[in-house]
Amino acid sequence: MSPLIPPSRREALRLLGAGITLAAGGCSRPVEEIVPYVRAPEQLLPGVPARYATALSLSGWARGVHAIAVDGRPIKIEGNPLHPGSLGATDLFAEAAILDLYDPDRSRTVTERVNGIASWDMFERALSGPFATVQRVRGRGLHLVTGRITSPTLARQIEGLLRALPEATWHVHEPVNDGNAEHGAELAFGRPLRALPRLDRAEVILCVGADPLGPGPDQIRLSRAFIDRRRDPARFGRLYVAEAALTPTGVKADARRAVHPLDQPAILAVIANALGAGLAPPDLSDEARRFALAAADDLKAQEGRALVLAGPALAPEWHALAHWINARLRAPVDFIAPPDRIEGRMPATLADLAGALDRGSVTCLAILGSDPVATAPADLDLGARIERARFSVHAGLHGDETAGKTHWHLPLTHELESWSDLRATDGTASLVQPLLRPLYDGRSLHEILPLFAGRPATAGHTLVRETWKDQGGADFEGWWRRCLHDGLIEGTAAPILDPGEPRLPALPTLRRGEGFAVELRPDPCLWDGRFANNAWLQECPKPISKQVWGNALALSRNEAGRRGLEAGDVVQTAVGGRSVEVPVVIESGVAEGVGVLTLGYGRERAGAIGNGIGADGYKLATQAEPRLLTNVALTKTGRTETILRTQNYVEIEGETKTLFRQIDLAALSEAEPKGIGADQPSLLAPWTGDKDGHAWAMVIDTDACIGCNACVVACQSENNVPVVGPEEIARGRMMHWLRVDIYDEGSPEAPRAGFQPVPCMHCEHAPCEPVCPVAASIHDGEGLNLQVYNRCVGTRFCEANCPYKVRRFNFFGYADGQPYANLGAESVKAQRNPNVTVRARGVMEKCTYCIQRIATERQAAERDGRPMGEVVTACQSACPTRAIRFGDLAEPGSPIAELRKDPRHYALMEELNTRPRTTYLANLRSPNPALKEDHA
Amino acid sequence: MSGTAQPHRWIDRERLGYAEICAAVADPIQKRGPGRAWAIAFLGALPFVLATLAAIGAVLTLGIGLSGVNTTVVWGFSIANYVWWIGIGNAGTLISSMLLLTRQHWRASINRFAEAMTLFAAAIAGIFPIIHLGRPLYAYWLAPYPNTMDLWPQWRSALVWDFWAILSYLLFSLIFWFTGLLPDLATMRDRAETRIGRRFYGALALGWRGSARHWALYESFHKAMAALAVPLVCSVHSIVGLDFAASLMPGWQESIFPPYFVVGAMYSGFAMVVVLAITIRWGLNLQALITPAHFDAMAKVMLFASIVMTFSYATEWFMGWYGGDHADRSVIAYFFTGDYRWLYYSLLFCNCLVPQALWFARVRLNLWALALIAVVINLGMWLERILIVWNTLSHGHAVSLWRTYHVSFYDVVILIAPLGLFAFGFLVLARIFPIVSIHEVSQIAHDEGAAAAGVPKGGVA
Repeated sequence: MSPLIPPSRREALRLLGAGITLAAGGCSRPVEEIVPYVRAPEQLLPGVPARYATALSLSGWARGVHAIAVDGRPIKIEGNPLHPGSLGATDLFAEAAILDLYDPDRSRTVTERVNGIASWDMFERALSGPFATVQRVRGRGLHLVTGRITSPTLARQIEGLLRALPEATWHVHEPVNDGNAEHGAELAFGRPLRALPRLDRAEVILCVGADPLGPGPDQIRLSRAFIDRRRDPARFGRLYVAEAALTPTGVKADARRAVHPLDQPAILAVIANALGAGLAPPDLSDEARRFALAAADDLKAQEGRALVLAGPALAPEWHALAHWINARLRAPVDFIAPPDRIEGRMPATLADLAGALDRGSVTCLAILGSDPVATAPADLDLGARIERARFSVHAGLHGDETAGKTHWHLPLTHELESWSDLRATDGTASLVQPLLRPLYDGRSLHEILPLFAGRPATAGHTLVRETWKDQGGADFEGWWRRCLHDGLIEGTAAPILDPGEPRLPALPTLRRGEGFAVELRPDPCLWDGRFANNAWLQECPKPISKQVWGNALALSRNEAGRRGLEAGDVVQTAVGGRSVEVPVVIESGVAEGVGVLTLGYGRERAGAIGNGIGADGYKLATQAEPRLLTNVALTKTGRTETILRTQNYVEIEGETKTLFRQIDLAALSEAEPKGIGADQPSLLAPWTGDKDGHAWAMVIDTDACIGCNACVVACQSENNVPVVGPEEIARGRMMHWLRVDIYDEGSPEAPRAGFQPVPCMHCEHAPCEPVCPVAASIHDGEGLNLQVYNRCVGTRFCEANCPYKVRRFNFFGYADGQPYANLGAESVKAQRNPNVTVRARGVMEKCTYCIQRIATERQAAERDGRPMGEVVTACQSACPTRAIRFGDLAEPGSPIAELRKDPRHYALMEELNTRPRTTYLANLRSPNPALKEDHA
Repeated sequence: MSGTAQPHRWIDRERLGYAEICAAVADPIQKRGPGRAWAIAFLGALPFVLATLAAIGAVLTLGIGLSGVNTTVVWGFSIANYVWWIGIGNAGTLISSMLLLTRQHWRASINRFAEAMTLFAAAIAGIFPIIHLGRPLYAYWLAPYPNTMDLWPQWRSALVWDFWAILSYLLFSLIFWFTGLLPDLATMRDRAETRIGRRFYGALALGWRGSARHWALYESFHKAMAALAVPLVCSVHSIVGLDFAASLMPGWQESIFPPYFVVGAMYSGFAMVVVLAITIRWGLNLQALITPAHFDAMAKVMLFASIVMTFSYATEWFMGWYGGDHADRSVIAYFFTGDYRWLYYSLLFCNCLVPQALWFARVRLNLWALALIAVVINLGMWLERILIVWNTLSHGHAVSLWRTYHVSFYDVVILIAPLGLFAFGFLVLARIFPIVSIHEVSQIAHDEGAAAAGVPKGGVA
């Protein structure tokens, strides 16, 4: 035993330090862990995915989803078949939401602009002063800014706040909104109404600048209705589209014209005149007029089943005119009261806020879940004006541009971490339930809002239940559980109203300036910019241009030629003293005299992924011209930028047309199904059938494909497909297992295009297999062509020999050690699907037909002693139009074998004797016989 | 041929005794120091060697992503370099063995370094397939070794055939070269003045005493090896051709590939021998042993190969068109009108047009012109190899994924730096082993009567 001597000076100091550290540690809140469980909940089985019904918002509107969690980690989003905004499918934004949850750039804590990291308590203390001031004057000086509010709970809370503080102002700012449509409906019917076009009943549809099949909160519902109807050749109908640049709707059109946005109203006027409106004959080119008259004839002939849709960029009067036309046509449109309104409250606009800020009357500004600094029209200059608020706070997922201008920033919880409720576009309400405890120190909007009403903080769960407490009668708990389970609340769809007879509005005179115009559109991948920091969406090829990691000003070939511009030339796009520099891209089907730019890029504070990518279209927008800019000057800067693309826009010529079979509806009856080619002699071992009797195959209906990319992102999410980043894309590398090709057999002026998703073909005579020196590419007993990752040495001969080029190589350790930007962060790893290997550097990978899902079903079937049931691949489950079908060819009466007998059936490059298992159904088109130029 | 300027056809001196031959070859190694030129060349080659090592280190550490390969054009410089270097290696053995079998005595003075060239070129070529892999550390999985997983190579893959072809070729080249070296090693041993030299050469000479029995065994063994070499040379490059031909891709799936690759290899190999012969002749003052007649003969071979290559290209175009397959025609059109068309025109210029100058004896006998043409041919042959890879992969069946190659810095390094490694190998070799075969040149001198005293001028044995 050592002698009892006093500790030395050093030792004493060391003990003192340790004591202080321990004391400080002991005082902090105990760390709460989410996983692993010490005592696991009874239902939770380790490694077995659990599905929870919830809802995700896009511009405020709900799409019901099933979130799949493994061991408490949400890893995948799938559609909720019961939900009217999902119908069992997803869109790319819903699929990518899972990555947003794990975004390493998410705000983790309350921050104050000067002092940095703070706490909720500190914020509440800081708020108490300004709040007391506004409370004394019944809320005057309190300004709330939110996005579109469809949440009944949030609406109730805002209503409560405004009732308690009647002088407070509530502003709503939604960067991509339907303002013109809303005003148009009000003009036509005299009251706010939301139109729900029924594409399942409309057979002849004319879209004037409208893109119902394009990205948006209603994409799934509209495209499903449209495609399901067209599956019946008798109800195929005809789709006319007049638009400034090619959209997914334009690709599906049977007759399409590139029409300058300022000429688009004239098309509506011609239709209206054909229906007896007696408007002044508009000034329109012969070609466009012939198109409009042909459409008018067709619309009239199909009265009751004809529909006209006006685009979001058209002025409200033209929307009103479209309503008038639709009423004449007895068009299948349902009208409901807008579900995003609070009864009796008309929210103020950002312009009102700017005025109040100028007057210095803003005492307390709370911007909740919105990023107006990045997305407001540039002439509001909100970034500078917000500084005039005496006290300002921003709540958001990211410390974005707005957070950079406010005094305080509060971290919001992600929708997968919080309780809430949301309404779909038809008014159906869903409960939003958390799948995991908030990863960081965030709170939901419901929990933050009471701070501005002087109420004590309440848990979101309680607040949401409070909203619905009168439902379900005596058995509220049972009702609540049922709603949570189903993912929607029965009977909450807005009642369909009789709108009455629309007025023929006073129409503005058609102006057709000579100047160049630029149309701003929401981006098909980043939407309004809120997804700018989502790497999956940044690397998702845009449906038409296939551009990734950036945006570009789309011009027609002629327009670019006239201006001496080539693809990649950076131009200064200036209007009204504001300008952005943006590269030019030449696209087919763009109208003359107009360029199209998508919004959401050029973010300064999006995060490590989204910062500085692309050009910011919002910088050009003004309150007067939010989406269509006129008199734009383009000046060549002399710089060039590479337009990053993952694949080419294929212009069909000669024999490449066999790659994308197109059939005219009239010729469908004579069409014969094309098989997968005669089984020619081959050095490969013959395929003799599968060991346990399955023969997996996929049939993709190109006619149903709207190129929305939901499958691409779903595959990425399901199969741990890494992001490679813009530098790698520039080197020609990518990792997507599934690509959506676009084929155009028309001309640059009049494209006749179609989409073709290309996963692995799982060839019976797979060219990749005999060339692999180490047998890493092999066939399994069920006809699946497999890649054995841990056997692969990386010769890449398989990809060199793959005629479809569907194999993807890890040139670097994209998922494993050499990730792009911050994608190697721990939080991102939590997203990975535990049933799918994360591939190492130097190995080849490719589509597996979601073999993990096949294996799961096989195990379940073996366990239960039953035959295997349906297996749904990730791409198939995501597809809004059910274009992708997967199944077992060997199963008697299997739908997939039936599809192979469809007259539209064909295989890609069957002449190579690869005998692909993935095959296609041809694209259908029903051109108007009166419009010769639409015929091939 | 042995005109007035030259007393003997293959010996450029009237009198050239055995001692003189020995001294000419061995003394620079054993008596004289490396010399200034050697030192400068050595120092000049060193950075290239280091660059090669750095590039290999980088690609092993960071991954094959350093190369310009992409999702569509998955092969690139590594493959082209591999085929090119194997091609270079080919001619060495061909010269040695084919000419030995056909009793072309003039080979004596060039076969040694031609064989060394084969050895180095094949060794350098062997590096490329390994560093081109995604996971080079598992390259040995191509070998059929017993393992607990019971896994074997996939024998249908041309890459496995290739693995065996390179391996056997490399081993063969080493043995063939070493066999030819044996009598000279003994000479070096006998002439060595230092203990270390005697030990070193003595160990390598394997007890060669120059007895009649030794010579008899040597002759039959060497001839047998030479007989083996010819099919081996053909097989190695045929198999390299099959790497491409045994595929499904337009522009690769052609039965002409194996012979076309063999001729191409001979073509670039002879060009490289010419460059080396000119350099060595000048560097080691071997004008007496390497004569204009040698160059004349090699130039004729190159001319012949050039015509065969031109014919092969034309066959490729014709068959592409005549076959009628859209993908094939499309690729042929892409040769001439696609992204790499200028490179393709350069290749035709280098391989088909320029060598036609060799019809003229004046050009064949002008070493400057010959060296220039040889370098141009080597450039053209490299272009041919890279374009075989690029054209087909950039313009395959999947139209939406057509894209071009992006040359990276790493690519440039692994293209240029191994040339320095090759030179480095030669420089080291030249300081250790006789760079010209002493015993074979002596035999020619004997045959041509230059060695024996009193044989009349111009006399041929």
